Amino acid sequence: MSVLDVLDRPDVISPGISACVGCSVELTLRTVMKVLGRNSVLAIPPGCMGGVGVVGWDKKSGAEIPVFFPLLTNTASMLSGLRLAYKRQGRDGIHVVAFAGDGASVDAGFQALSGAAERNDRIIYICYDNEGYMNTGYQRSGATPKGAWTSTTPYGKLQIKKDMPRIMADHRIPYVSTCSPAYMKDLVEKVEKAKRNKAGFSYLHVLNPCVGGWGFPPEESIEIARLSVKTRYFPLYEVVNGEYHITVDIPNPLPVSDYVSRLKKFSRTSEVALTEMQELIDQQWQELKALEQVRVNGA
Amino acid sequence: MSHVEVMTGNQAASTAACLARPDVIAAYPITPQSSVVEDISKAIAEGKLDALISEVESEHSAMSVLEGAALGEARTFSATSSQGLAFMYEPYFRASTLRLPIVMAIANREMISPQTLWASAQDSLSVRDAGWIQYYVENNQEILDTILQAFCVAEDKRVLLPINICYDGFYLSHMSERVDVPDQAQVDAFLPQCYKPDHIYLDPDRPMAVDPLTNGDLLMEYRQKHLEAQQRALTVIEEASEVFCNLFGRHWDGCVEAYKIDHNTKGAIITLGSMTGAAREAIDRLQSEGLPIGLIKIRVVRPFPKTELRELLSGIRAVGVVDRNVCFGWNTGIIYQEVLAAISGSPSIVHQPFIAGLGGEDITIEMFETAARQVVTLAQKKNGSRDQETIWLRSVSEEVHK
Repeated sequence: MSVLDVLDRPDVISPGISACVGCSVELTLRTVMKVLGRNSVLAIPPGCMGGVGVVGWDKKSGAEIPVFFPLLTNTASMLSGLRLAYKRQGRDGIHVVAFAGDGASVDAGFQALSGAAERNDRIIYICYDNEGYMNTGYQRSGATPKGAWTSTTPYGKLQIKKDMPRIMADHRIPYVSTCSPAYMKDLVEKVEKAKRNKAGFSYLHVLNPCVGGWGFPPEESIEIARLSVKTRYFPLYEVVNGEYHITVDIPNPLPVSDYVSRLKKFSRTSEVALTEMQELIDQQWQELKALEQVRVNGA
Repeated sequence: MSHVEVMTGNQAASTAACLARPDVIAAYPITPQSSVVEDISKAIAEGKLDALISEVESEHSAMSVLEGAALGEARTFSATSSQGLAFMYEPYFRASTLRLPIVMAIANREMISPQTLWASAQDSLSVRDAGWIQYYVENNQEILDTILQAFCVAEDKRVLLPINICYDGFYLSHMSERVDVPDQAQVDAFLPQCYKPDHIYLDPDRPMAVDPLTNGDLLMEYRQKHLEAQQRALTVIEEASEVFCNLFGRHWDGCVEAYKIDHNTKGAIITLGSMTGAAREAIDRLQSEGLPIGLIKIRVVRPFPKTELRELLSGIRAVGVVDRNVCFGWNTGIIYQEVLAAISGSPSIVHQPFIAGLGGEDITIEMFETAARQVVTLAQKKNGSRDQETIWLRSVSEEVHK
């Protein structure tokens, strides 16, 4: 089966949702649900995808599958409960899926998410990270990188981005990966792996460039996403049962300035800050390479 | 056949929960509720209860897990207290507005600050307007019996609302009493076989969008129906109480219980929860002296049984409400304000607020005697003011602390 076959599958998300022009999150959601299929229940907490109508409006649904609004703070725990109900009924084939923004995942919903991961409940949790509270007007989140403009960090954020995939991997859940809408084959394969994971929790972290919040032309969404990977700003890897594996190796990375210079949110970033950012990226890549060398059972 | 056991209030709660055959349980330990979740976990681990439990990381997640489970068509149960309930508030409110028949015991505990662990209904009464049904019970037998009735009421198609069974922390949660435990077959005959919703669910075979963005007009329709369901619950609660009595031989008087009130009664004391035991004793003593005073125990606070209460108070001149909680901004207790709202159309009734027993302080028989004598005095007074200042019933005088 090729990736193209998957992309040809029927779209279970309504054609009428009102995402911004060039939104890479909408594309990611449609693709993810093509992979997971109709035997799924989809949780969309408050955030961009909730705001644009994926859950629906009044009596109209935004999807052809069961879809619901959890609270911003309890996406993972509501899915834990659903999973238990289905387990009780012997309906183990149903995919219980969260598609949640970074605010609902790394900040307000973190406790519930960490709890569900620690219990290793069988949930497919996809975090679409656009590095801020974009639905409410581009405010800072724990996933906003240092130096970035947001409406609550008008002179740039002072703290570094929370490294959520690594935090989730340290829960020792069966499957963690990072994904990008610019690497569709990689993304589809990772969602397939989560779909096949019957052993417990799957966490997928997607970096989704945001046209309005980051400041770039709508037609450049995928290009920006690709640059985030090619600069090693956002490495693509997976952690299967504790073993790290870089799925898209970047042997000759572009300097991070190639990425930063394309985004208005970094327009106030100084040379010093840029150097710091490059150092952090280099260090994180080295750590990732080192983690890749660690084999869980000493194999 | 039923059998008799000596058990704490928390054991009565966990025993009832197990008898109700829940599918999914989620709870987080908090004093004084903790042994409820411990005992249910043990029952599942030992294979005595066929159910699934989620060992959640917080009360917020406990309620959230149950909401997910109920949307997946599971019968659900939890238990909590005070700060746990406060932390749970966000999903708590939503359980009722999603119309999910979750049953949750609350071992009532005072809200901090100051730091405290002991009884008061401040926790659950503070969330009385979150759309749940709330029972307040007097003893351990009533805990067990009411939890069973609660499942029946919650899942009734005329109601479909979550229910709290509230009982005073330590006074009941940790006190041992004789409890008649019905056998499983009896309970199975009493309760609906399983929870099978047709109003809200998440099922790939029957796709539904749960909680899309909703305009105000449609939201008003939901709220109106929610309020109507609360009112229908008054009848359903009475029915469940009757059916339960027919099967098990114990009657808990639905929403309100009148104790020793007849056409000669001029004054009434109103109570909630475990304090009612001491109040009964005080009323017995004063009636033996010939004082025309009786007792009303409010068993259901939401929905508030205003019609029944009005009828009970129809011949009464003065009423005293003893609250183990406070109503900030009114300088009274909360139940006093509820009673006031119910009798607002009866200008002939004089009413007296009392506050007692906060933070687990004992409410003694003597305090009830003091309160009852004050109510009798008001009942006999001609042209007395209707608006009485709150009387604080305390065992230690304020002077001691100066």
